Amino acid sequence: MIQEIVINGLINGSIYALLAIGFSLIFGVARVVNIAHTALYMAASYFIYLGFDYLGMSSLLAALISILLTVALGLVCYQLFIKPIREHESAVLIATIALAMVIQEIFLLAFGGNYLGVPPLATGYFMLAGVKIANQHLLVLGAAFLALIGTWFLLMKTRIGLGIRCTAQDREVANLMGINVNREIMAALGISVGMAAVAGAIVAPLSVIDPHMWLHPLTMMLAIVVLGGLGSIKGSFISSYILGFTEAVVVFALPMGAFLKGPIALSIMILVLLIRPEGLFGVSFEEER
Amino acid sequence: MAESLLEIVGLGKRFGGLHVTNNVSFELNQHEIIGLIGPNGAGKTTLLRLIMGILKPSSGSIRFKGKNINGLKTWDIVNLGIACTFQNMRPFRRLPIIANVMVSCMCPRAMKRGEWVKRIEAKAMDALEFAGISDMALEKASTLSQGDLKRLEIARAIGTEPELLLLDEPFGGLSPLETDLMAKSIKRLHKGGRFGRLHSEGPSMIIVEHKLQQLMKIADRIVALSFGTLIADGKPDEVVRNPQVIEAYFGEGGI
Repeated sequence: MIQEIVINGLINGSIYALLAIGFSLIFGVARVVNIAHTALYMAASYFIYLGFDYLGMSSLLAALISILLTVALGLVCYQLFIKPIREHESAVLIATIALAMVIQEIFLLAFGGNYLGVPPLATGYFMLAGVKIANQHLLVLGAAFLALIGTWFLLMKTRIGLGIRCTAQDREVANLMGINVNREIMAALGISVGMAAVAGAIVAPLSVIDPHMWLHPLTMMLAIVVLGGLGSIKGSFISSYILGFTEAVVVFALPMGAFLKGPIALSIMILVLLIRPEGLFGVSFEEER
Repeated sequence: MAESLLEIVGLGKRFGGLHVTNNVSFELNQHEIIGLIGPNGAGKTTLLRLIMGILKPSSGSIRFKGKNINGLKTWDIVNLGIACTFQNMRPFRRLPIIANVMVSCMCPRAMKRGEWVKRIEAKAMDALEFAGISDMALEKASTLSQGDLKRLEIARAIGTEPELLLLDEPFGGLSPLETDLMAKSIKRLHKGGRFGRLHSEGPSMIIVEHKLQQLMKIADRIVALSFGTLIADGKPDEVVRNPQVIEAYFGEGGI
């Protein structure tokens, strides 16, 4: 059981980290609370299914194309529905909820409510210190870590990253430094949706694809960003693993645990809001200005 | 007569029924320093914000090098060659000081094609050296004192290699010694030339300032505003003797 908890905790944590960091990033840079974030993650899974099952692509090619398509979908949705109302935060929140519902209904209409699946890229397993580890799990972990390291490098070591971080801290001053803030927001959104798409692509072979698969990760992601501190990337990263392991422990160690993982995540979120509203690494609102 | 760099014609800004800037017109010549003075609430900072495109004018026009810049985005105006510093300093607090300056060195205007991060870092270091705070380059911007924050603002502004620099109260909150040092830096910057990898065009300047004694030493011309209206424009010693200016500062009858 221990090894299952460790492996699943790591996988859950990495997938949540991909989702939550992207969500935090776009909130930090554009102040957009993107509820449709996990709907885009679902879209990536469906695109893989479409490429693999309908168009006969290899799983890897289908995964790559689905990531690109999802990023394009995210950017188009932003331009059409979010950008015109970006200054009104509550309107943006409602618009992203509506967008998520629309994406869900489109997939429901197109594919029905059936559980779909794609085959794993890697089959078989190997033994490590007496523990059986599926090759697919290792692949998923590797891809997730690569995506996380890539994002860290992009944000911390490149010009684009510096521009994004400055825009997140003070948009008006970033403007005055000659930074095209709209371009930085588009770049941040591209990275954010790209991370969700990678999560969707690596999760597709591990679980079933259905039009409601975005709801549980949404609950977890919101709990994670509240625990980590809204807008804090470091906080999102650490909290992802805290909740990823909590979920694994609940599922494997408690009877009927699979039904409890959502409520437990939400309870953690409520507790954090009561005890430390700014989260583990968030900046308290008084400090900000 | 030198060619004018900035022309402000009939500029007005209204917030509801309040005229914050009212039909202001003046020109700034190449390589000139204008001191912009006026009592609190005269509309000086608003005027700078209008030039930077942060606020949109209600009437009138602003031309920079013959080009109308009304309605342009702030980043486009910066890339045309105007930079400004804030009265209330707003550094990127959670970033190291060097990164604060790298951002401005990264703007398309200051960047040569294909420049690498390392080169930009070196350039930012030169800007910090010019401003006199290079020894603190790696510390977080939130650790800086008031005077050093002013220096950081200057370093960030010159990182964009501007032709026109707008300084909002560069001496505000500084001790007499710091004020002297800052005035010297401004003069040195105005001379132009190369500071390491950083090129200074010897920018023209508009300086908003309340410390008139210091301002008179560095300004070629003084423009005075009161209640959003231009009340005087001329040589420093003429303007400070202007009865309207004295009245604006000290009330009717002056002192």
